[in-house]
Order: sequence, then C-alpha cells, then structure tokens
Amino acid sequence: MAKLVILGGGVSGHTTATFAAKWLGSEHEVIVVTPNSQWNWIPSNIWVGVGQMKKEEVTFDLAPVYKKAGITFIQAKATEIHPEGSDTIEKAFVTVESTSSGSEGEVTTVEYDYLVNATGPKLNFGATEGLGKGSELGEHTVSVCTAGHAVHANDKLKEAIEKMKSGVRQKILVGTGHGLCTCQGAAFEYIFNVEHELNKAGVRDMADIKWISNESFLGDFGMGGLHMKSMGFAVSSKIFAESLFTERGIPWIVGAHVNKVEEGKVHYELLDGEMGEEEFDFAMLIPPFTGVDLKAIAKDGSDISDTMFAPNKFMKVDAKYGVTDYNQWKASDWPSTYQSSAYKNIFAPGIAFAPPHPISKPMKSPNGTVITPAPPRTGMPAGIIGKAVAHSVCDLITKGEDAELHKISMADMGAACVASTGKGIFDGTAAAMTVYPVIPDFDKYPGTGRDTNHTFGEIGLAGHWIKHILHHMFIYKAKLKPGWTLIPE
Amino acid sequence: MVKEIITYPRPPSVEYSTDVRIFTDEISSLIDDLKDTINHNSLDALTAFQIGSMYNVIVIKQEDGTFLELINPRMLSTKGRVTTSESTAYFPGITAKVTRHEKISIIYEDRKLQQHSFKAEGAFSILLQRKIDYTFGSSFLNKLSQEEKVIFEQKLEHGSDIAISESCPTTFKRDYILKIINFSMIFMVLLFLSSFFIQRAEEGTSLLNYQLYLSFATLSLSIIYFFYAQYEGRLFTSCTSCQIGNIVGTFVIICIKLTLIMILSYFFMS
Repeated sequence: MAKLVILGGGVSGHTTATFAAKWLGSEHEVIVVTPNSQWNWIPSNIWVGVGQMKKEEVTFDLAPVYKKAGITFIQAKATEIHPEGSDTIEKAFVTVESTSSGSEGEVTTVEYDYLVNATGPKLNFGATEGLGKGSELGEHTVSVCTAGHAVHANDKLKEAIEKMKSGVRQKILVGTGHGLCTCQGAAFEYIFNVEHELNKAGVRDMADIKWISNESFLGDFGMGGLHMKSMGFAVSSKIFAESLFTERGIPWIVGAHVNKVEEGKVHYELLDGEMGEEEFDFAMLIPPFTGVDLKAIAKDGSDISDTMFAPNKFMKVDAKYGVTDYNQWKASDWPSTYQSSAYKNIFAPGIAFAPPHPISKPMKSPNGTVITPAPPRTGMPAGIIGKAVAHSVCDLITKGEDAELHKISMADMGAACVASTGKGIFDGTAAAMTVYPVIPDFDKYPGTGRDTNHTFGEIGLAGHWIKHILHHMFIYKAKLKPGWTLIPE
Repeated sequence: MVKEIITYPRPPSVEYSTDVRIFTDEISSLIDDLKDTINHNSLDALTAFQIGSMYNVIVIKQEDGTFLELINPRMLSTKGRVTTSESTAYFPGITAKVTRHEKISIIYEDRKLQQHSFKAEGAFSILLQRKIDYTFGSSFLNKLSQEEKVIFEQKLEHGSDIAISESCPTTFKRDYILKIINFSMIFMVLLFLSSFFIQRAEEGTSLLNYQLYLSFATLSLSIIYFFYAQYEGRLFTSCTSCQIGNIVGTFVIICIKLTLIMILSYFFMS
C-alpha cells in the first residue's frame, strides 16, 4: 500500500486529493494535511466582503467530505519536509503541527511515499510596514483573501457607509499593498462591488473611491494584460478596464509599490521613483504572497530548503529558472509536470510551485524598487494542474516509477475569469474574460503572445449569471456530490 | 516613408495593439515612418496605431524640430483636472470636450528599451494623454463622459462639429395637433359605433351631421398639420429629410383613416 500525502486543502490540493482517492481506491492511502478545517470558495469572498453572502455560504467542513471519500484528514500545519527520512525514521516524512481544537501545537510526523505540496500562498502582510505582521492582517486595512477577512471587511465597509449616511465624506482605497502583489483581479472585482453597494445605499456621492496597484497599466492583471475578441475587434484589457473605471468615476494610481501603511494613510513609491501618499478611511489592500514557512531537512539534519525552494519559498519544480532577460522569456520556461527538481516523489501544483519568472514585463523604479505583478496561478489553472498531478501520482503508484508523467503547462492552458458586480439576479453586471494561453507564447503568437481567437471578453448580465453558476457548481463539486467528476476544473 | 493616417470610420486595426518586446529593424522603420508622416501632415505627434501598426510607439515633434520617441509609454501619477476641446487626426474635423489631468508623469523606453521618465503639464500633458489613449488600441472616445459621448457620436454621424449646433428634437409642437386629430377620429369611431344602438331615424341623421362636422374639422386640422409641420421641420435642417417623409406619410395615413370612417358612416349611419 502506497501512502500519498497532500499538504493543503485549497483548490489544487483538494482536487489532487479527491481525484487520487477516487482513482486509487482503498488499496492505497490518501492523507490530506491542512491547517484549515474548512474549504473556502475564495472567488465568492468578494460577495462576503460586501455583505451579499454569509461566510457559511462560501465555506464547508472538510472532515465529513474526506470521510466520505476515504481520505485521511489531519488538521495540521506542515513545518518540515524530510524527503530522505532521518536518523530515526527510514521513510520520507513531513513534520506537522496540529491546529485542531484541543491539540493545538502538538507535533507529529506523517510518512509518505509520494508528497504533493499544495500549500498555496502565505499572505505576507508583513512585507509592507503597517499592513500586518507576518501572515496576520494589520489594524489599518482590510482584506478579502480569506472568508474571515471578508467578514471583517464587510463590517468595516458597513461602518463607513453609516458614516456617509450621517454626512461624513469617506475616502475608499482598494488595490494592492505591495509592489510584488498578484491577484489584482480580486481587488478589481472588490472595488466595483463596493461602488455598487454604495450606490445601493444611496451614498455614492459621499465617497471618493480610488484604485492603487502595482500594475504598470490598468488591466495588466499580472498577465501583461490581455486582448479580447469582441464584435470582430481585439480590445485590450487596458481599454476595457479604463472604460469601466472612467464610467464609474473611479480614478487610479498604477505602477505603485505601497511601502508603508499607517492609520488613514498609505505611502507609496511609483515606477518613476516619485514618492506619494494617499489618505483613506476604508482600504482593502491585497498582500503579497510568498511560499508558506516550510523547511526541507536532509537525512543528516542539514537544512536543504535552498535546494527545494526558490528564495520566495515556493517549491522549485520542472521549470527553467534563471532566465532573467525579459526578451529571452519563453513559454517553454514554464513547468508542465510540477515534479520537484530535487525529489521525484514530490510535486507542487497550484500557487505552491515557484514560477520561473513573472508574466508581466519586469519593471523597477530608478531607486531600484521592483514593481512588477507576480504571476497569478489561482482558480482554474490551480484546479487543472491539481488534477494532472493526481493523474501522474496515481500512475506512478499503480504503473511503477517509470510511468510517464501527465503534462499540463500554463503556456498550453486557457483560463476564465468572471469579475462580477452586485449579486442580484437581474441587477448584476460581470466582466467575463477568457485568455489563451495564460502564459504568452511569443513564438507561436507574435505580438501579444496570445491567440486572440480564443481570448475574448464581454460585459453584461450573462457573465453575472455565470458567476452565480460557478459559485454553486464548484461548491457542489468540492463537496463530492453525485456527478462531481463531470464538472470541469 | 509617409504613411496614410487612418481615419474614422475605418478601424485603425482589427488586430491588437501591444508593447514592443524587442527593438528590431521593423520598429526602427516604424519610427522613421511616423516622423515622415508627422512632417508631411504638419502634425504635433502620431501614435503607431494611427498608421495601422500594432506597437505601442509614440513620436512627438518638439518645438525645436527634434523628435521625442516614446516606446511602451505609461502614464503614472496625475494631478488636477482640466476640460478642453480636443481634436485628433483619427476623427478629422470633429472636436470633443475631454477632461484630462493637468499634470502627469510618464515612464517610457528608449531604443535600447531602457526605462526613462519625465513630467508634463499644460498642452503638452494633454497631447501626451491623447496619444497614450491610442496605445493598446484605444482613442479619446473611451475618455469622454457619458453626455459628451452622446454628443460626439452625433457629431460622428454627421461628420462635422457644425451639424451638432442644432440637434433634432424628439418632440415637436406639431405632435399636439396630431394628438387632437387622433382624439377626434377616436370620437368619430365611437359615434359610428353608437349609431347601431339608436332606433329613431331623426337621431341617426343628427349623429351623421355631427360626424360630418367632425370630419371637416379633422380634415382642416390635418391640412394645418401638413403645412405647419413642414414649417417646423425647416427650423431643424439637420433632420429635414427624414421629417418630410414622416410628415407626408402621417398626412396620407390620416386621410385614409378619415375616408374609411366617412364611407362606413355614410352607408351605415344614414
């Protein structure tokens, strides 16, 4: 009996675990180690952040689902990987620290034959002074990265709305809290939902809403922008985004690295080296991501984290690292098997793998501050990669170590993004975009690097309904209800 | 080489507009073409997109006659707002009121794709913003307010600023006359229907007389409508042609309706 251990129960980890359990059956053991007791459909946190959904609607308990699937569930945080075992334990193992109620802090080991590191990101609030400490959100701003954060964001937003109702003008700032952030799309969706809520509350005229982000142009989204085929024309996401902001009277600051947050004020540096300040009464700033605090220890007890992990703490896989010249970036630099470059029985799908380089053009200010969005690997790509890794691991277990690995590169993968405003069935509007491939391939598609025939976008009610459908469909799938395998990632 | 400047309604490109990744001979030639086209047409500046190229390149002719080459420009910080009347080569002969930033800071790249920045204000700032609109394939159309966009689209329809000095109203005084005519005809139809419920011949005859008086009055109003409507239509030259057709058509329809009512009334009411 082989033992497959999956670290993390997010989109990619949950996908890998559930498919692996289904394909391997009871002959092999699938173990999920995750510090969270609940699964969270993160895209709908936006609606929680404006009070349109409750936390319970976007989360569910993992334990009963894993029990049904025959997966062993350990509620704990992985702290060390011992890929060669240790003096006392022959087999490879991970050291975990319990987060379960009643046994918090208890340290145990979990042996494995195959390990999938799907730990996702550490929300690195501590990277910006005043934004928070470590992975803890600070007191000055809010976030929608977790369901709990979103509930807090909604509470603060409601307070701001009450102040506006009593005649006190409010400054609202939404965007990214560091020069290396990703997930601009989440902030993009949130700012329009906030604007929608203010309109509904009849206080839009009492609010000055502003966007701040590390993108060098509006609509970059960490993907170097995209072009959407619409009505026979290829429209840039820059025009798409600028039109939306202009129509709603929302000014923007781009190319900004927020370097300090204090009560009611952010300090930032721009790509031209200029320093600026922006006051706020309510601010939602996305933190930068790093890999989780996970060490790799060799059999002799030496720290081999540098071998297994990139400096940003994400796991090094089969990507081509070290290509620093933007002009030399190739689609083929990106990984396709997500197998650890150091150990063949370790994989890292989703956000946990170290990307070879950003997708957006790397830029820095004259002061040397790098202000470049990190590449997004969330949502659809994370799910697709998670399933491919499950395929590979299952084949390795059932067919032997020489089994061919399943390949899926983000340079051959499309992604869909639906940014919705409002939650009502008839009063919502969504910007629905698809992009193919996620990683531009300039050799295959000269110019933008993308196939404009498969990259399109629309704004309207239909996209909003898709957002609703996706919410229910993916939660249904994640709960492993009948027919869950038929729903695509 | 002097290139043709693409003008509305032809789309500048059905392809995408994108950043320059590698400075090649093609980009060098493109910059030369932009300079030649600026000189030939005595322009201040041109964006590559305006001559049908996909690349984000702007060339600006400075006061001393030298050219400023901006590759992959981005607008960062902004200060102040100012609304001015702008025109651009893509929409020849048409202006629009566009609200811009008074002061801006720009980052751009040179031929070695090295990043530079500068600040601009006043007319130069507005010119830069207008040109940056074209990068990634846009125009100032996307920067107009909702109201200005409506006006600008009307200007586009007529191809000049002059046509917009008067707009074709959606309601006219003649519509009131039309309303009275319609009410009168409805009343005539009701009189016609009520005649079926009358037994005495004298009452039927008097009803027919009322019907006759009403028909004369309606016809008179229709004739008044026909001439007044044409007079009113001439006050708005921008929409005369469609109005004349509409007026004649409306008059003919009234006459047909009136004739039908009177024929039926003559045979059944008498």
